[in-house]
Amino acid sequence: MFEQFVEWERNRHDYARRWKERTGGKVLGYFCTYVPEEIPYAAGVLPVRILGSHEPQDVTEPHIFGMFCPFCRDCLAQGLKGRYDYLDGIMIAQSCLHIRQAFTSWQKHVPTSYSYYLPFPHGVQSKRAYPYLAGELEAFQRSIEEWTGRTISDQELTQSIDTYNTSRRLLREVYELRRGPKPALTGEEAMEMVISNQMVDKADHNRALTELLEKLPGRSPDSGDGIRLMIIGSEDDDIPFIRMVESLGATIVIDEHCTGTRYFWNQVEANGNLHQALAARYIDRPACPSKDWPVRTRIPHALSLAKEYDVKGAILIQQKFCDPHELDIPALKKAFEEAGIPTLFLEFDVTVPLGQFRIRVEAFLEMLSQADMFDDDLF
Amino acid sequence: MITAGIDIGAKTIKVVVVKDGELVGKGIVLAGLDTKTALDGVVKEALEAAGGLSLDDIDFILGTGAGRQEVSFANDQVTEVSADAKGACTLIPSARTVIDVGAEEGRAVRCRDDGKVEDFAVNEKCAAGAGTFTEAMARALEVDLEELGAMALRSTQAVPMNAQCTVFAESEVVSLLHAKTPKEDISRAVHDAMASRITSMVRKVGFQKDVVLVGGLARNPGFVQSLKRGLESDVLVPSDPEYVGAYGAALIAAERVQEGR
Amino acid sequence: MAAKTIYPTRPLATWKKAKELRNTYYKEYATAHDRGAIRWAGGAWSLGAVPAGLGRDVCCLTSEPYGASIAWDRDFSLQCLEAVEKRGYARDLCSYMRNYWGSLLLDKYAFGGPFPKPDFIWQDHICCSHAKWYQVVTDFEPEIPHFSIDVSVGPYHELTENRLEYLVAQMHDGIEWMEKVTGRTYDDELLIEAVENECRSTSVWAEVCALNKAVPAPLDEKSMYSLYALGTLMKHDRRVADYYEELRDEVADRVANGIAAVGNERCRVMSDTQPPWAFLEVFRYLEEFGCVSVGSLYTFGLIGMWEVGEDGTWGPRKTPMQKGIEIKDRDQALRILAEWNLSKPEWQHFYSPHLKSEMMIRIGREWQLNGVMLHYNRGCEGLTVGIAENRLALLEAGFPVMTFEGNMGDEREFDRARTLARIDAFMETLNLRRLAS
Repeated sequence: MFEQFVEWERNRHDYARRWKERTGGKVLGYFCTYVPEEIPYAAGVLPVRILGSHEPQDVTEPHIFGMFCPFCRDCLAQGLKGRYDYLDGIMIAQSCLHIRQAFTSWQKHVPTSYSYYLPFPHGVQSKRAYPYLAGELEAFQRSIEEWTGRTISDQELTQSIDTYNTSRRLLREVYELRRGPKPALTGEEAMEMVISNQMVDKADHNRALTELLEKLPGRSPDSGDGIRLMIIGSEDDDIPFIRMVESLGATIVIDEHCTGTRYFWNQVEANGNLHQALAARYIDRPACPSKDWPVRTRIPHALSLAKEYDVKGAILIQQKFCDPHELDIPALKKAFEEAGIPTLFLEFDVTVPLGQFRIRVEAFLEMLSQADMFDDDLF
Repeated sequence: MITAGIDIGAKTIKVVVVKDGELVGKGIVLAGLDTKTALDGVVKEALEAAGGLSLDDIDFILGTGAGRQEVSFANDQVTEVSADAKGACTLIPSARTVIDVGAEEGRAVRCRDDGKVEDFAVNEKCAAGAGTFTEAMARALEVDLEELGAMALRSTQAVPMNAQCTVFAESEVVSLLHAKTPKEDISRAVHDAMASRITSMVRKVGFQKDVVLVGGLARNPGFVQSLKRGLESDVLVPSDPEYVGAYGAALIAAERVQEGR
Repeated sequence: MAAKTIYPTRPLATWKKAKELRNTYYKEYATAHDRGAIRWAGGAWSLGAVPAGLGRDVCCLTSEPYGASIAWDRDFSLQCLEAVEKRGYARDLCSYMRNYWGSLLLDKYAFGGPFPKPDFIWQDHICCSHAKWYQVVTDFEPEIPHFSIDVSVGPYHELTENRLEYLVAQMHDGIEWMEKVTGRTYDDELLIEAVENECRSTSVWAEVCALNKAVPAPLDEKSMYSLYALGTLMKHDRRVADYYEELRDEVADRVANGIAAVGNERCRVMSDTQPPWAFLEVFRYLEEFGCVSVGSLYTFGLIGMWEVGEDGTWGPRKTPMQKGIEIKDRDQALRILAEWNLSKPEWQHFYSPHLKSEMMIRIGREWQLNGVMLHYNRGCEGLTVGIAENRLALLEAGFPVMTFEGNMGDEREFDRARTLARIDAFMETLNLRRLAS
């Protein structure tokens, strides 16, 4: 049922190359999910998120100092090794300093005909961010128009927004089916689905999601009735890790990652002005910790997801050296534990030591199931 | 003219005596806790090998290596970076990149044909790219250190390994053993991981051919093979690779005599 | 090897005054409440001229120099760092921030007495840690109000009206907010005065640094650290602007008379990023080789404001006053302040290391450098971002580069012996041997 998503995720480069052949369009690699993909998509450009490959590598040392996160180095390695040689352009929306380095080194050492730095506001809690970003989106649109040599009409942009909104709505419908006592899909399947969503033409992906939604209700996968867990944290596309966790009697039912819900949770809401509507969508989306200040809005959001999805425990996943997340984790951990949801903290590298992590996850699950028994005794 | 180079590394002390450009005597000893006694012993050994010389016969002595300050009778000091480059380029004149992997430290030096250093990098504060790492891994695999390298050559498949840190790598070796991965493949994984760290550092200095590997790890065939794979380049190893620093220091000592100091 | 030259040298006459200004600053802050004065906390980069409009008695504690002051005292710093680690914070976070938090958690001020808590937080945000630093402070002390301004609007050469307006609008909001949290009425005249002071002090500091193009260099970087620090404390204060003018006159006089900072100067280098504060002896070690660090983009461009002059070289940026602009109202003052700060050299590399490389290569050429020592600083991701690309660009431009790892504020991450060994090797590559003492 999820074969198509798995195929896209595993063979992402083949998909993009075929898409180019099929459409004759340009492919734009992007580095952060604050990129307003609707604008290039409206110009017939395919935005694909640049992710790592989880292989040890030795090519980024001359470019990025080792104290920056393994994810940004893994991404840059893909460029330096020529894996994304089909890209026509690259862009980033301003977020953390780590991933920015993958972008700037790529600009210089893997040149493409187009690169764009969108100075996305960090002050997303200021009302001033809305008109500012709307202005920046207009400038970005002009830049895309110049690159592609075509003007984006309001109708095209509206259509693009609709396609993206459909994608978000369908993903949320699938996520709804993880809420009940018998989730219709595993965490691993969900991850394959959302990651492939970031690299496949939304029109293709929406068709696959629609088909999936016809088959999913009533389905109960083998590992679907494990201890209900949430995963929270930095970028996370480590499928072998998720598989390992679910092989131990857990089911991941919800996430708070930029590779997951933070990417698609909210819609663009029409308000008469397309750029203002888009700006509001990206400013109001579940925040990356690098933008989540002065108030930590992530915590109540993550807690409400945990409650809605009835999770018993949460794994806090952090890319090693990720400062924005490191600055949130103590507060996040405290809030979850005060809400009666135990947490397990794990630091991720390009590859994770599965053996060592297995022991920790097993111990965590044991602790959670003991807590369950204790609850039963009480009632 | 007779000069000597004394290289005090983290684990061993190497002494080389050079007479008119020729290596005439050498000696190596474990530094141990009493460096001074070990040093006196190995200097004596090298001088005897050089035809029964005494310290007074030596025109100039240069100390090198991390413990170079401990050679109280040296006339001066030189860093292991310059000494490695000089020694390697003299032995293999086509050398442009010299990699030295010892017990505690890895270094990469890019040099000119006369052995002058153009750029260098040193691995930072992590044993995962140096000799002690292989010792820890040999312990985890329960094999002799000498056997570890040869074993890797018999590996039939590559197993990825995360070698960001010795502690994690050790637990990863244990997991692989539990998963019944053949020891030969684990050994290769260990050497690949180590070579990957060294390769990263070598790429930082922007390596050029020929590549010469010196230092104690150059005697480990598993590591040499992994390094060749990592760099996608041949890697030359001089005979007696652990003496190259001391030899280079002895040669620089001779230059200093000629310069008149 | 260059011939050994001996230049005349003598200590700075204005040194004592710099020291006094710094001591007064920390004391005034600690005792502010005794006088009924207001105190705020925020970064050394925050738009400090804005709170100056709250009254002449406003004091501030800028957090980076304060974190550095703690780093000087290794024992106290270790106590601070450990206090923070006990609270579950990662060891690889900004070490200034961890020193600062530790001092707050332990309730100990580095200059004696309990930690003087601010009345409000006035911060800006360009590096990932800036506003989050104070978010954590309010985790510890929830009653302290916090306002942070997002200044990350892209590089100066791409500044647009939309971007400037975003900043200025936030500053207007900030003033309203400050009036509310302090209960004071805002005085635009004081703002205008502070903006003028800030433009003057930061332009004159650049003038001081530009004088260091001279051979021999009249200042060495180790001394410059103590001098530029005043700008990081209160660049908007008249006392600092006046002091920098005095200093400039003295340094110009040293240049005219060939007075060197380091008498045996025969090799000139620059560093980059904050130094490991507990180990400034590294700079003295260089002098044993006749090598002097004449500055860095960090010492020049963190507080100094620069522009390319008619001759194509870098010099102090002309202030609005020098251009004959009269600041008449709040909005104009805020716009000038925002625009001025956005041209800060040390803000440009946040968007691209390539912009920083260009500035570093310029310094290399105009200050006549023989090499560069890059501090791969584990304590500050904001200034270390892109440093590996800077290294590549400097090498490409023909400058020998040495790198050393360390940490500005966590001495556990600095390996003195290894760093000195590395300097030995670097000096050898520059053909320098230790001079007989």
